[in-house]
Amino acid sequence: MADPFIIETADLRKRYDGVDALRGLSLQVPAGSIYGFLGRNGAGKTTTMKVLLGMARPTSGRARVFGLAADEQDASVEIRRRTSFVSDEKDLYNYMTVEAMIRFTAPFFPRWRVDLEQRYLRKFDLPPDRNVKALSRGMRTKLALLLALCRGAELLILDEPTSGLDPAMTEEVLQALVTHVAGEGMTVFFSSHQIVEVEQIADHVAIIDRGRAVVTGALDDLRERYRRIQLVFDNEAPAVAFRAPGVERVQRNGRVVTLLSSAGTKQILEEARALNPASVDVVPVTLKEIFLETIAVEN
Amino acid sequence: MLWYKAWLETRWRFLTGLGLLACSAGAIVFLYPQVTKLVPMASTVDTSGGLGRRIAEATALVRSYRGYIWSQWFSQNMRQLWALFSVLLGTGGLLAQTLGGGALFTLSLPVSRGRLLAVRAATALAELGILAIVPSLLLPLLSPAVGQTYSFADALVHGACMFVAGSTLFSLTFLLSTVFSDVWRPPLIALAFAILMALVREVVGGPSSASLLGIMTAESYFRGDGIPWLGLLGTAAASAAMLYAATLNIARQDF
Repeated sequence: MADPFIIETADLRKRYDGVDALRGLSLQVPAGSIYGFLGRNGAGKTTTMKVLLGMARPTSGRARVFGLAADEQDASVEIRRRTSFVSDEKDLYNYMTVEAMIRFTAPFFPRWRVDLEQRYLRKFDLPPDRNVKALSRGMRTKLALLLALCRGAELLILDEPTSGLDPAMTEEVLQALVTHVAGEGMTVFFSSHQIVEVEQIADHVAIIDRGRAVVTGALDDLRERYRRIQLVFDNEAPAVAFRAPGVERVQRNGRVVTLLSSAGTKQILEEARALNPASVDVVPVTLKEIFLETIAVEN
Repeated sequence: MLWYKAWLETRWRFLTGLGLLACSAGAIVFLYPQVTKLVPMASTVDTSGGLGRRIAEATALVRSYRGYIWSQWFSQNMRQLWALFSVLLGTGGLLAQTLGGGALFTLSLPVSRGRLLAVRAATALAELGILAIVPSLLLPLLSPAVGQTYSFADALVHGACMFVAGSTLFSLTFLLSTVFSDVWRPPLIALAFAILMALVREVVGGPSSASLLGIMTAESYFRGDGIPWLGLLGTAAASAAMLYAATLNIARQDF
């Protein structure tokens, strides 16, 4: 039976010069998913991707891609044969032209898609004879994306794919990505600190903070589970500690107590009503609110 | 395709080196008639001091065309230029490309780091081989133009010794380029090492076959003592060890 998870990490740790970049990261990326990897700058997103691709070695813990150990040399080569990667910097060879960059990359990938290459060259309006050095940030991103999408890979790892792009270009890149993934049935693991774009294309999400995953799951499931519960009292709100599991955060402000719950809303409501509030409101929360609240709790 | 990439990254350094060395070789040959006219003037120089002894030695060498070629080309111009370009060709690579140079793109390819390094080193070594042999072969080809002859065998032996022994400078720079991520420290340290070698030879002296520069210029072969096989073997082993160390070093790096 095929492995249901394309990427699996367990208690993954990475230490650079005395700084913990990853502090026990555990992730499971389902096959066929578009997995958004959210986190602030320096949260450990890029380090995770580098470990998965064998560019950095984990200090401890486990990282597997396609069931292969990412820190073993031969396995790592096989992982990269089946994976496309676009780095945050859209790192390409400045001394090559667009055409030369494509001709250089294609032979490394036996399943290179010439049909897609031609389609994206036209769609992205990339000038084949232009030097990479002379490309704008947007064009560079498009070329990096073309080189990734044509590899015929099973997994696409994108590090901040739209960073530095204007909204129109961002939309164009995201649309191209979604269309491609829908047609090719591949798994996408992409990092971002743009919550809107994660909400727009991801079906699974992990929020990472200081090298640890603080929230993981299917996006619909998270939206279903997370609730904001607001209690308004007639007088000063009582200072209480909620015992029900699932309470992520409690904020007390005058007559109002606001709770963020990640599970067991019913049980929390029972505990809350026992305090005799004047009113109780339960409202769904957005991914942005989940992100901001969980990051705030962690800090 | 890695070969093509390595060629693109080194081609200007290589072609510049080839052009300079070829011009220098041509100049050495065509200047010979003028140099021979100056030789009688050297007989008036006082040869009692250290400098005088050097002038006398140089004059003695220049009296024969073979001595002139060895002292002016293999021992000076070529040695210096070739050493400079061996250091320049050893500079760069994955670590230096981490800041906007495409290192992450390279590392995302399904190729081991060992292979990346091997292709880069082999390309540069092939270029250095051409830099050692081709300009040297111009000497026997151009010599008839000034009424002289120079042996192809001599040109090949000196060129090959320059390549084998001098590759230690390339290997040293290559190794240093896997330690330092900037492009300045590796060549500067390697050039400082080369200058130190030259100074040690000047001050300490000793047999030419025991010094790196002596082996590079194949002084023992020129003086009729044969090819410095032991020295060539030693320098080749040192080069191989440094290239292997570079491979180990890059394999354990985090990018």
